[in-house]
Formats: sequence, C-alpha cells, structure tokens
Amino acid sequence: MDEIMSKKRASFFAIFWGILALLYFFLPIYGTLDFSLRMERGTLGFKAYNIIFSDPRFWEGFRYSITMAVITIIVSATIFVPTVYWMYLKVPQARPIMEIITILPFVIPGIVLVFGLIRTFSRPPLQLTTSTFKTDILMIAGYVIISMPYMFRAVDVGMRSIDVRTLTEAAQSLGSNWFHVLTDVIIPNLRLAILGGSLICFATVMGELILADFLVRPALGPYMVRLGLTKAYEPAALAIISYSLTWFSLGLLQFFSSRSERQKQQVINE
Amino acid sequence: MTHLELTHIHKSFGTSVAVEDFNLTVKQGEFVSFLGPSGCGKTTTLRMVAGFELPTSGKVTLNGKDLTYIPPNKRNVGMVFQSYALFPNMTVAQNVGYGLKIAGKSKSEIEERVREMLSLIQMDKFYSRYPYQLSGGQQQRVALARALAIRPELLLLDEPLSALDAKIRFELRQEIRRIQQQLGITTIYVTHDQEEALSLSDRIVVMSQGKIEQVGNPFEIYNFPQTRFVAKFVGSLNTVNATVVDPAKGVVSFDGINLDVEDGIKGKSKGDEITIAIRPERFNFLAEQRKDNVFDCIIENITFLGSVVRIQMRIGNSIFNMDTFNRPSLKLPNIGDKEKVTCSKKAVLLLAG
Repeated sequence: MDEIMSKKRASFFAIFWGILALLYFFLPIYGTLDFSLRMERGTLGFKAYNIIFSDPRFWEGFRYSITMAVITIIVSATIFVPTVYWMYLKVPQARPIMEIITILPFVIPGIVLVFGLIRTFSRPPLQLTTSTFKTDILMIAGYVIISMPYMFRAVDVGMRSIDVRTLTEAAQSLGSNWFHVLTDVIIPNLRLAILGGSLICFATVMGELILADFLVRPALGPYMVRLGLTKAYEPAALAIISYSLTWFSLGLLQFFSSRSERQKQQVINE
Repeated sequence: MTHLELTHIHKSFGTSVAVEDFNLTVKQGEFVSFLGPSGCGKTTTLRMVAGFELPTSGKVTLNGKDLTYIPPNKRNVGMVFQSYALFPNMTVAQNVGYGLKIAGKSKSEIEERVREMLSLIQMDKFYSRYPYQLSGGQQQRVALARALAIRPELLLLDEPLSALDAKIRFELRQEIRRIQQQLGITTIYVTHDQEEALSLSDRIVVMSQGKIEQVGNPFEIYNFPQTRFVAKFVGSLNTVNATVVDPAKGVVSFDGINLDVEDGIKGKSKGDEITIAIRPERFNFLAEQRKDNVFDCIIENITFLGSVVRIQMRIGNSIFNMDTFNRPSLKLPNIGDKEKVTCSKKAVLLLAG
C-alpha cells in the first residue's frame, strides 16, 4: 500500500514539475505571440507581420543572413569533419586541447572577439575591411568561430558513435584511399551529426548581432535591434519569426533523422 | 613455394618492444595461426603485414614483392576484424561490393561477385539488409565475404570469433576453414584461443612477449612443446620440479619418487634440477593398462567437464590432474581413495626455457 502511495506521489511531482517547466518555457513565447498579434486595438491580427514582410530591409537582412549561414555551415563542416577525424585517428590525446579551444567562444565575450577581429584585420598585412566582399569573408570567419563549439561537439559525438579507426582500416584494406574513406565511410555515418551541427550553426548565425553590427553588414540581427528601438509590436513579431525559424531547423533535423530510420525499415520489409 | 615472408621483423613503441626478431615463411594456401596471450605481439605482427603499422626494422614480402613500405590500400590483402567493421551506412551487398567499386569494376561484375560471395557464405537472402539488422555471426560472415570479394593475395583474420558466443564460434570456425580450403587462399589467423588455433591451422606460431616460442603443426605444438611457455599455454599440463637421478637411463625423481623418461636426458648431470610436464590425459588407472611409470596416489577431487572427467590426485606431495573420457562404463573412485596410476615414458616432457 505504502509502495503504491509513494509511486503515486512520485508521479504527481513528475507531472507538476513537467507542467512548471513547460509554463516557464512557453508562457513568455505565448506572451510575445499574443502581443505581436494585438497591433490593432481590440482585435487579433497579423498587421505587425505584414509590416515586417513588406519591409525590403527585412528581406535584405534575411537573404544576407541565410547566405552567410549556409557559407558558414560549409566552411565549418569542411574544417571540422576532417580535423576531428584526423584527431580521432592520429592524435586522440589532443582531444582535451580541442575541447578547450572550441569552448573559447563561450568564455570570450562576443564583443572582445569582434574587436579582436576588427583590430587584427583592419590593418596590413591582411586588411579585410576595405570592401564589402572582404568584410563578408571576415564575417564568415567570425561566424565559424562563434559556431565552433556546436559544430565541434556535434561532429565529436558522431565520431564517438562509430569505430572510426577500425572502419578506416577496413576501408583501406579494401583499397580505399583517404578521400574515399572520408566520403564513402566516415561522412555518411556522420550525416545526422553534421546535420545537427549545421542547423544549430544556422540558428546561431541567423540571430547573431554583434559581429554584423560592428562590421556594418545588413544581417537580420542588427535589423531586429534597430526595429526594437523605434517600434513595439514589430520586434515581437520578428522574435516569433526568429523562434519559428529555429523550430523549423529542429523540425528538419527530426524529420531527416526519422526519415533515415524509416528508409532502413522499408529496406527490411522489401 | 614461399608466399609470405617476414624477415627479422622488429617493432617498438617508444621504449617498449612489441615484436622482436620475428621470422616466418608461409606457403601458398597455408593456414597459419598466431597464438599467444594478450600483449604478446600477435596482432601487431598481423597489422604490420596489413600495412597498418610500420616495422621498426625488418621486411615483409608477399609473392616476392617487398610490401614493407607499401600503404595498406595498395597491398591487396583482405582483413577481417574482431569488431566486424562493416560499414553501417551500407547494405550487405554494398559492403561486399565496396572493394570492387573502389577498384573500378563494372556494376554487372560487382553484382555477380557479390552474389557469388553471398552464396559462398550462405547469406544470399540478406542482400539488402543493413549490418545492424544482422547477428554477430552473420556480420562476421559478411565481413569475411567482403574481404574475399577483392580476390586478395592474402587473408588476415584478427581474432574474428572473439566477440561471438561459443556455439556460433564453433560453426563459424568450421566455415572459415571450409572457405579457406575451397579458395586455397593463404591465411594468417590471430587468436588467443588454443582450441581455435589447434582445430583450424596447418601451422601454429606460438608467441610470447613479442617473440616466437615455437612454430609447428598442431600435433607438434600440443604433443612436443619445446618451451615451458608453449607447454603451459597450449592445453592443460601438470608440471613438477624434479632432480636428475640417471641422465643416461633417463631417470628423474620428485618427492622421492622415481620417474622414467624416454631417450635419456641430454645435457644434464646427476643432481641437476629439471622441470617435467605430463598432460592430464596421459595418466591412466593401472587397471586399465600397465605402463612404464606406476605411482601410488590419493584422489583429492573429481570434476565433470562434459565429455571429460578431471580427477585431481596427490602423488607424493605434488598435485596432478588426470583426464579421462566420460563414458557410461567409467568406474570412478571416491574422494580419498588410494589408487595406482600410470603414464608412459613418452608422456613425460622435459621443459626448457
């Protein structure tokens, strides 16, 4: 009897804390959503959203940030997948050092990083602030650094889930060179890990403010801040759009991972 | 004809020596096992043959071609790993055909060879399965087919059965031997399991601490171990320290009991200390058959091991094990009984090293 009572009590508290956590996360979002829909007095509507979607500066920022995010993902994956692979294969003892290096963007404030980048690359020998193209290169370099902890960890977790060394040796014994080992065996088995890292990278770049603001580039982050200085309802609508973008990214991740499972299941049934 | 030759192979990792002066020639189609405990250098030697480790010194030759500095992907050596190492992103057919795809073979050729290999391992129905949908034994069969699909000049197996349960191990062991004999492929097999090595191999290389202890066929290795290590590592063994009584006649003594040894004791003088060894199955109760050496013993313990019954007995102050077949007509003594046991002169091994 006591056991049943104790189980019931435990389950009650589990539900209670669960609901509390959900309220903690979703109430502010609900508040923002509700506020963003009340631009017209007395009715709920999408006026704030219409204003944003009809603003060419929003679309310019959106396009710019998406382009930057895609390039950042490509550069990050190109740097981190071979690096982490090589580390696992040849210098596994370097992993703690890599851990520390990749965590630096969490420790060093964004503003310090931006000033460091601007001071270093605004003067010879490598002056990257003289044209918008060069500044974009600097932006991407900065975004790669900012998103480094996410991409490294995603790839690292992926590598840990497979026996990198043995798979490499098995492929080599079948005649595979390093390029084929990486493209045929390692990367396909890290697909979900890379996708996970990429989507977090994407969300980070889409919301990034300091780098774009100080380098005066038309990204979505500075647009959101500038809008917030003079308007009330539109920034709330923009925040919801931003949340939706992140959730969309996570949804995509979920979709691809479950699709890969479904495809495998289909093969068995066939 | 010599197919594989390892000449003065030496491998060090920093100050630690993994393999020392390893010399071996393997004939075409021969099945050779490297047998030894963990850390004896058997896998390191195999990895040097595969090209995954570079020897510190020495030479690896295959079909007269020096492979020592050739990268693993250029050696045409198939390898099967303990952990199967199937590519999780590929189906069984894609795994088996991968080496052929890398070699640039046509789709139809790959398809034909994959079907042939799957038929060889009797897994035709598993063509489209993914590795995670297979049992350990099935995965290892696929790994074997994958290694063989490229028609390697040499097949290397690194403890391929270690991760499997006893029944599957036994089945797959027979299958490996059948396939090896069917294809006539030269094979190096690494194991720490003496039963595997004894049942599969044409020759066994027993290794300890990076060195070869003995090379011989299973019969020689089991019945005529040349060193104390081989005698102790392969099969069960009773060992006892004895004193030479008459080296010419081959008489030694332990615990005050004389024991006859065949062919005398070379290189020893009266009074020298010596280690003698007797396999448990070489003892018999006197009633069964009279032999050269007869001892009084007291039965200490009896253990059933399935097809064999192990009887522990005290002769003098020393404990010996005797193994006898567990047949229905077997009349076992009771614990504490006094019995007479015997073993032939031939059964007594003199251990060196």
